[in-house]
Amino acid sequence: MSDLKARPAPDAAPAAPASASRPRPRIRGVGEVAALVVLVVVFAVLNPGTFLTLDNLRTVLDQAALPLVIGVGATLVILMGSIDLSVEGVMGAAGMTFVLLSANDRNGLDLGLGAFVVAVAVGLALGLLTGLIHTLLKVPSFIVTLGVWYVGLGIATLLFGQAAIPFLTSDGLTSWPSDTTLGLPHSFLLAFVVVALGALVSRFTRLGRYAFAIGADEQIAQDNGVPVGRYKLYVFALAGGCSALAGIVGSLQLGAGAANVGIGNLFLTIAAVVIGGTALGGGKGGVLRTALGVVLLTVLNNGLILSGVSPNIQSAVSGVVLIVAIAAAGWAYRGRLRIAK
Amino acid sequence: MSFTTTSRVRRLIAGALAATVVGTLATACSTTSGSSTGAAQEAIPKEDIVLVASVINLTNPYMASMVEGAKALSAELDVPLKIVNSNGSSQTEISQIQAILAEGKKVVLMVNTVASSDAPPIVNAVKAAGGYVTIWWNKPDDFEPWTVGDNFVAFQKHPGVESGRCTGDALADGIGDEGNIIALPGVQDSTTSQTRVAGLEDALKDHPNVKLLEQRPANWDQQIAFKETQSLLAKYGDEIDGVWAADDAMMLGAIEAVKKAGRIDDVKFASDGLYPPTIEMMKSGMGDDAIVGETFHRGYMAAATGLYTSYLAATGELKVADMTKEQRNSLFKISCVTPENLDEFTKYDTDVEGWVKQLVENGPFDTEPATLIGQGPEKLPGS
Repeated sequence: MSDLKARPAPDAAPAAPASASRPRPRIRGVGEVAALVVLVVVFAVLNPGTFLTLDNLRTVLDQAALPLVIGVGATLVILMGSIDLSVEGVMGAAGMTFVLLSANDRNGLDLGLGAFVVAVAVGLALGLLTGLIHTLLKVPSFIVTLGVWYVGLGIATLLFGQAAIPFLTSDGLTSWPSDTTLGLPHSFLLAFVVVALGALVSRFTRLGRYAFAIGADEQIAQDNGVPVGRYKLYVFALAGGCSALAGIVGSLQLGAGAANVGIGNLFLTIAAVVIGGTALGGGKGGVLRTALGVVLLTVLNNGLILSGVSPNIQSAVSGVVLIVAIAAAGWAYRGRLRIAK
Repeated sequence: MSFTTTSRVRRLIAGALAATVVGTLATACSTTSGSSTGAAQEAIPKEDIVLVASVINLTNPYMASMVEGAKALSAELDVPLKIVNSNGSSQTEISQIQAILAEGKKVVLMVNTVASSDAPPIVNAVKAAGGYVTIWWNKPDDFEPWTVGDNFVAFQKHPGVESGRCTGDALADGIGDEGNIIALPGVQDSTTSQTRVAGLEDALKDHPNVKLLEQRPANWDQQIAFKETQSLLAKYGDEIDGVWAADDAMMLGAIEAVKKAGRIDDVKFASDGLYPPTIEMMKSGMGDDAIVGETFHRGYMAAATGLYTSYLAATGELKVADMTKEQRNSLFKISCVTPENLDEFTKYDTDVEGWVKQLVENGPFDTEPATLIGQGPEKLPGS
């Protein structure tokens, strides 16, 4: 990640007031926080004794971990005004790579940490491939990433092969995500670190600032000397890396390799990015907002399950929430002609 | 602005209308062309035949097993084989089968349809090309082989109600005939899943002290089952004594979730399919002998039986017109497996070729352990 030219993080927490030249966090996001509070209160009343328990909190945090990690990459991509639909494919390819290179019951390989490195590299490579096609061949990110989704899924399917399900054989490894430190599951702690790094990168590094600039107006960014193509490459590679990391954690949670380990994560993540308030057109938003969106949606799903809402209605509710959120976010701009990329 | 919006809406509506009309016409055309040909059964020489096995995907172990069975039969009969991977899409499935039909060789097909509604277009296409098809698992109830003609040789499946009863009984007994269970059905509109759940509910009538707390469909998927179980564990906590799943992939996901919740020694499981990892877990007594009930049926047996039925019709060895209704809409035996009788069933998997040899010797309806036991469609309990 040396390409990122990350400056050392300031001593203060990321929320500390930045210098005048940096955009201050506006007091938007209040609506999302309020929505989260309302959800928590409603579900706590509906499910006394089950919703506000330590066990359920751990479940929510464990389930939020994957979309949180993916959300970091997805937010940066969407900030640039592009979109990354390849999430589930990259997760599958990286997850299967990780499982087959770790101690498993299909082959004798056990590369230990090497498996992790190779799997993340697979994600970076797929992200890089996306970026190259997008920037060199000028193919819209929507269609490139749709293709790469299936390329990733294809790689995962090939790796899965036709033999029995490959299980991870090291109990220490598979129990890692749900084991707790300070009462919090490791999967969530990892996601927390990734989100914090993502927030720092997007606020304090050239990569992050350029992503905003490219999303706000690519032409102006280019005219001002931003190497647009190069930074798009970096962002897509970073997003691929995030998806890969999520694929690895997902495989650890499952304790086995599965080509569709990422199933359902694309919808959840894109929805979280939008609900968090990052504009699909690019230029506005942020990683922390997405994190809030993820938590909101995870709590919503969890609460609906605890309340005994039928799964059919539940998926419809998720869809409605997404559409309402997009409509609400775009309300101010509805009169203007905006091009959604 | 308003003008452009209206005209765009109008164009959209016109487009949608046009698409519907074209779609309807296409369906109508294929239906008429289908019924006009392929009347009498003529023996096809072996060298003109290509075996085709169409499966839903290649990532599910059951599907992989189907492919294994098709390959073994192809080797045994010395007839070439093509595999169609539908990738979960009816569209992919139908277009790939049509492409193979267009190549000219006589197609002998076994298809595990992605959705029931795929059966008529596939059957019609095969009939028009003079091939023979046997369908596994999914078809509309009122679409019967004998109303289509000889080219739709048979529909075959294992009874889901029986599977649900087997595993439901075993799970209830496994938790000491008293306590709470949760259930993970497959895709909600799948008849296979619905019949298995109906069997479970029927079995529970004999166990009044066993309560089914909640059903959460997990789409036949290990990962989704993991998440659903995680949520249900958060909801019910220690109340859950047993987990029932409509197939083993989902049970394996549920087991992982229960393990992670630290309750693997307190919870029992029952499911359908006896996947290889399940066999290992049963043998090793994982948890406190956590897996108490399973069913035995195999993808390779299903695929080879279906393909062989089509093949016998194509070569004229089986006169389709003389086949009984039971042989054309068939239920094949499913075996209840418990830790006690597990060893009776593990022998088959180590010798797939041997089983296929037996199939070719005994014919598709009389090969243990998957013999023909009745006529479909399956009746749901109480209906």
